[in-house]
Amino acid sequence: MRSIWAVCKREFVSYFTTPVGYVIISVYAAISGLYFTGSFIIYARITQNPSAYAYDGIPELEEWMLSPFLVLCGQLIMFIGPLVTMRLLSEERNRGTMELLLTHPLRDREIIFGKYLAALGTLLVMMIIVGIHLTIMGSFTPVEPAVLFFGLITVFLMGAAFFSLGLFISAVSSNQVTAGTATFGAALISWILGTMGRDLPQAIPTPEEWPEGAVLLASFLYGVIREIIVSLPLDAHAQDLAQGIIYPHDVAYYVLFAAFFLFLTFRAFESRKWRA
Amino acid sequence: MIQAEGLCKYYGPITAIEDVSFEVAQGEIIGFLGPNGAGKTTTMRILTGYSPASRGVARVAGFDVAKDPIEVKRRVGYLPESVPLYTEMLVKGFLKYVAEVKGVARQARSKEVERVMERCGLSGMGNRIIRNLSKGYRQRVGLAQALVGNPPVLILDEPTVGLDPRQIIEIRHMIGELAQDHTVLLSTHILPEVSMICQRVLIIHNGRLVAQDTMENLAGPKAGMTHIEVDARGPREEVERLLANLEGVRNVKLDGAGPFVVEAKTGAGIQARIAQALVNGGYELESLRERARTLEDVFVEAISSDEGAAAS
Repeated sequence: MRSIWAVCKREFVSYFTTPVGYVIISVYAAISGLYFTGSFIIYARITQNPSAYAYDGIPELEEWMLSPFLVLCGQLIMFIGPLVTMRLLSEERNRGTMELLLTHPLRDREIIFGKYLAALGTLLVMMIIVGIHLTIMGSFTPVEPAVLFFGLITVFLMGAAFFSLGLFISAVSSNQVTAGTATFGAALISWILGTMGRDLPQAIPTPEEWPEGAVLLASFLYGVIREIIVSLPLDAHAQDLAQGIIYPHDVAYYVLFAAFFLFLTFRAFESRKWRA
Repeated sequence: MIQAEGLCKYYGPITAIEDVSFEVAQGEIIGFLGPNGAGKTTTMRILTGYSPASRGVARVAGFDVAKDPIEVKRRVGYLPESVPLYTEMLVKGFLKYVAEVKGVARQARSKEVERVMERCGLSGMGNRIIRNLSKGYRQRVGLAQALVGNPPVLILDEPTVGLDPRQIIEIRHMIGELAQDHTVLLSTHILPEVSMICQRVLIIHNGRLVAQDTMENLAGPKAGMTHIEVDARGPREEVERLLANLEGVRNVKLDGAGPFVVEAKTGAGIQARIAQALVNGGYELESLRERARTLEDVFVEAISSDEGAAAS
């Protein structure tokens, strides 16, 4: 237990003894702040004169602004996240310190959880920035506490799930750039799928001359593919959660996602014992 | 303290080491000698639990490296060849981290860090960033890192490589001191280093252990034979013939343009007879002395006999 803490502390501190940590946090603060300020000003204008903006009444703050902001914060973590996770294990391998790590009395789980917790530590720093925004908003207008609470949990869950994927990719790369690029690619694919999923029709038409079996098969396959595209992306499960609506399957998705990739990280890390 | 039994390591079709067996007793200081690529690092990595052996058993302090890696790692301080360090950290911060990882109690950590820094000549360097240190000081930090927690066994992979002559002397001196209360296994491809610090030598070549013995036995005279360096002026062939015909002389070698090396039976006043013969023959005798077998001789012999065995 103590060793997990030692590994975690060293890793976390090293983010902030090099410029990496500051760059990550600044970029995160800048982009989320820009989005927050812009949408907050527009929302303020709408509340003053809803009809001018073609609204019947004042739109709900939570629905119009808060949830989209929180989902964006989560998505932003996916795009900045590769910078956090790419170094975790690949850097140790690249500069040879893996030899120290593996000859000190550390168990695999102490190394992997220590690294993962350090990444979650930087996630918490990002959450503090989100928290500052929300405090500013709360000082202007009352906000539903449940939405706030579950919104923050959503951002954290998205980040934690995505970081486990990043950790796994870092475990199989010997180079930071490779790890970072692959993780970024994964984020991009997830985001593209998520965007596609929103517009996918429920069914596809099939040519009339097709026999009944083929039509059934085609619609079944389409259903499966559609379900994957709609449900797999990381941000797909954030929309409801960010509005304070909790479905167990959304929470379970993030927890299982993180557990699955942590499991893969363990297997990849252990593979050193049988690969050469 | 350290036992290796039939260690083998294969990287795909390449054999890194084959059937390496040896033992190191408590308090011994052993030199692990071999040319680059002979398998020194591979063997050390197996002993420290960094990479598993393909076959064979390695034990440290009675614990099997494959079965109880944590127990082994608690008892071994390891200095890898490339001296990997977290270069962005302060010397003190790094050593504190190592102390924490090695399970040194919180209250004892600062004291332990002070102790190893003092021992490795790093006093006053605690607040330096490792990246800014010279190679020699990084080597010390690497050694300090191995010493944290006072493990009974030290495994040092080429601890003096890449240092300047003065630093080499300092590090050797340090290792000599450490040997008083540690079991040390140290690898090198520098021969004199071993004769200076080690009690016993393991010679490894092409992944096989070709010789292991104490320094005295290896470097001492071969039973009944001695080497004598003779520096004499005169036509070389004549002198050579004269020397070869003396009683008790087994062999005469020409060491380039340097002196003759006479291999002869010990005793029976061989040196006096050589001097007498040369003076009688009218040659000018510059010098005459007995040469101890150096580790170089042992090393070359061990390696060439191994190559001979492999060829036949």
